[in-house]
Amino acid sequence: MTDQQTTQVLLIEDNPGDADLVRLRLIEGRSPVNVNCVGRLSEGLASITRETPSVVLLDLNLPDSHGAETFRRIMDHAPNVPVVVLSGQDDEALAMKAVHHGVQDYLVKGNISSKQLERAIRYAVERQALLRALEITQKQQLEFKNRFLSHVSHELRTPLTCIHQYVSLLVDGLAGPLAPDQSDHLKTVLKSVNQLHAMIRDLLEATRAESGKMQIEPRCIALGELVQQAVAMLRPTADEKKVGLEIGLDQRLPLVHADPDRTLEVLINLLDNAIKFTPQDGSVMVQANVVDADPSYVYVSVSDTGRGINPETKTLIFDRLYQDADAIDNNRSGLGLGLFICREIVRLHEGRIWVSSEPGQGSTFTFTLPVYSLAKLLAPVITHKNLLRPSFVLVRVELTPLSNPPRGNWKETCRQCLETVRRCVYLDKDLVLPPMGTSGAAETIFIVASTDLQQSAVMTARIREQLERVADLKAKSTVTITTLPIELPSDSRSGTLEQQVQAVAGSVGQTILTSMDRKQLLTGKSKEIN
Amino acid sequence: MPRPKILVVDDDPDLVRALRLRLRANNYEVTTATDGYTAIAAAQKDRPALIILDLGLPVGDGFVVLERLQNSDTLSGVPVIVLSARDPHSNEERALKAGAAAFFQKPADNDELMNVIRVSLSPTHSQTAPWPS
Repeated sequence: MTDQQTTQVLLIEDNPGDADLVRLRLIEGRSPVNVNCVGRLSEGLASITRETPSVVLLDLNLPDSHGAETFRRIMDHAPNVPVVVLSGQDDEALAMKAVHHGVQDYLVKGNISSKQLERAIRYAVERQALLRALEITQKQQLEFKNRFLSHVSHELRTPLTCIHQYVSLLVDGLAGPLAPDQSDHLKTVLKSVNQLHAMIRDLLEATRAESGKMQIEPRCIALGELVQQAVAMLRPTADEKKVGLEIGLDQRLPLVHADPDRTLEVLINLLDNAIKFTPQDGSVMVQANVVDADPSYVYVSVSDTGRGINPETKTLIFDRLYQDADAIDNNRSGLGLGLFICREIVRLHEGRIWVSSEPGQGSTFTFTLPVYSLAKLLAPVITHKNLLRPSFVLVRVELTPLSNPPRGNWKETCRQCLETVRRCVYLDKDLVLPPMGTSGAAETIFIVASTDLQQSAVMTARIREQLERVADLKAKSTVTITTLPIELPSDSRSGTLEQQVQAVAGSVGQTILTSMDRKQLLTGKSKEIN
Repeated sequence: MPRPKILVVDDDPDLVRALRLRLRANNYEVTTATDGYTAIAAAQKDRPALIILDLGLPVGDGFVVLERLQNSDTLSGVPVIVLSARDPHSNEERALKAGAAAFFQKPADNDELMNVIRVSLSPTHSQTAPWPS
C-alpha cells in the first residue's frame, strides 16, 4: 500500500504564499510526505525527468504556461504520473476538461483541509495505478488475441492447402477424366475452398488493421483502370446471377494518390456485396466522379438496386463483425469483416466512406481518395531557401525486367529499389515522387532534386551504386537513370511561395509528360511489354 | 531433352504427393524431402534445377536450409521458391533476403506457381544480365 511509503509530491505553484500553505497542509497530515516545490512549468517538467514523483499538484496559471495548456503539457510529458490540479479558479468547465484529459482531481485552493488534500492525493495515486494496470491488461489481451489469430490462420492454411491441391488436381483432369457432373461438383468444392481462404485472409487483415499494423503504399494511379479491372473480375459473378454491371467514369477524372492493390480490394469488396444483395435482373453501377465542392478528392461510388439498408444500421455497417440479420439467413456471407477492412483502408488514405440508402430503393456506397497533386507533394521541399537558387532537376530511374513475367517477386524488388532510392536523397531538398501506374512490369521512379545538372551527377552515381547492392536486381532487370533539367517559367520567381510551388509543379508535370509517353503514364502500362 | 528436376521440400507428405503429381503433369522430374537435413542431402545428391521449400520444417527449418544452400559453392545458383503458410508480412522479405527467388503463401494459385517455376528455369536467368555502365 502506498500510505506506508513516503509520498513524493511535486508541487508546481508560482505563488510563494499558496505554496507554503499547501506544504503546511501536507505536513500536518498523518502520512509521510516529501514536498518538492517549483515555481515554473519548465522546472516541473525538468524535475519529473530527473525523478518521477508519486503525484503532481499543479497550479494552472504559471509564469510560463496558462490554463488547460498547463495540464496538457504535464500529461504529455509524463502520462503515467497522477496529476491533481490546485486552481484558484472555481471553473467547472475547465475542471471537466481537465478530468476528460486524464487529470485525477480538480481542487479549488483556499477551502481544502489537510485531510481532504491527503485523501485526494491518496485516491489519485490509487486510481492512476489501477488505470495503468487496466491499460497493461488490455494491451496484453490485444496482443494475445492477435498472436492467437495469426497462429490459428497459419494452422488453418495447412489443411486448406491440401484440400485445394487435391481438388484442383481433380478439376484440372490430372488424375484422369471426370464426368461433367463430377467436374461441376468439384468446382463447387473449389469455390468454397476459395471462400474459406478469403475468410482467413480477412481475419488476419482485420487483426492487422485493428492493431494499427496495416500499411499502404500509395502510388500515382489512374483510377479508371482499377475500376475496369475490378469489374472484369466480378463480371462472371454478376452474369451468373443475371445482374447488370455498369461503369460510369467522369471524363475529367484526375490521377489519384492511392495504393492500387488496396483500392482494388475496396472496389472488389463493395462490388461483391452489391451483387450479393441485388436480385436477379437488377443492376450494379460503379462511378468515379470529380465533385466541384471538394476538388482535392475523387468520389468513387458503387450503387445497387437491392433492398437497401435500414437507417439504424447505416452507421453500424462498417463496424467489425457487423452482419445483416437477413444476410445470415440467406447467404454464406463471410465474417462481417469486409466493410470494416474497406473503412480502414480508406481511412489510411485519409479518405471517407459512407452509405446512403432508402429501404427498398437500393444503396450507394461512396468512398473518397485523394487526388494526386504534385504541388501538395512538392510544397515541403520548395521553401524560400531552396528557391533562392531556383534550379530543379528531374531524375528518372527506370527498372525494366528482363523477362515477362518478371523473375521472382518483382513487386518486392521494386519496393526495395524505391526504399534504396529514398535513402539516396536529401530529405529537405529532394523529393522521391510516388511511383506511377498500377500494373505493368517496368517501374519508373522520379526524383525532383533541388540542384543543378552538374550536382545531380553525384546523386545519380550514389543511386546507381546503392541499387547494385539490391539482391538479384542485376539478374532481374536493367536499370536506366536519366537526368532532365526542369525549365521554370521566367516569371516563376515572383509571386507568393504558393504560386512558385504551383509553377514548379507545373514544370515538373510537363517534364514527366515529355519524358514518358502520356498514354503510358496514364495507364501505367509500359511500351516495353511484349 | 531431359526433364528439369525439381526438389520439393515440405513436412506434409500429402501435400508433397499432390505437388509431385502436378509437377510431373507439367513435365518436371520430382524428388522430395520432408525435413531440413534431408533437404540439403537431397539437393547435394540429386542436383535439382529448382527447389520448392516450406519454411516450417523439422530438423533445420526453411531459413536454415536457405542459408546452407547459399553458402554452398555448387548449390547457391539453384533458384528456391518458398511455399509457406506463414504470414508474408513477417517472412517474405526475410526469405528473399536469404536468397529465395520468390515467396508464395499457401494455398498458392497453381497457375501462378507454375508460371514462376517456368520463368525461373528459363535459360536467360542462368547467366548474369547486362548492367548499364
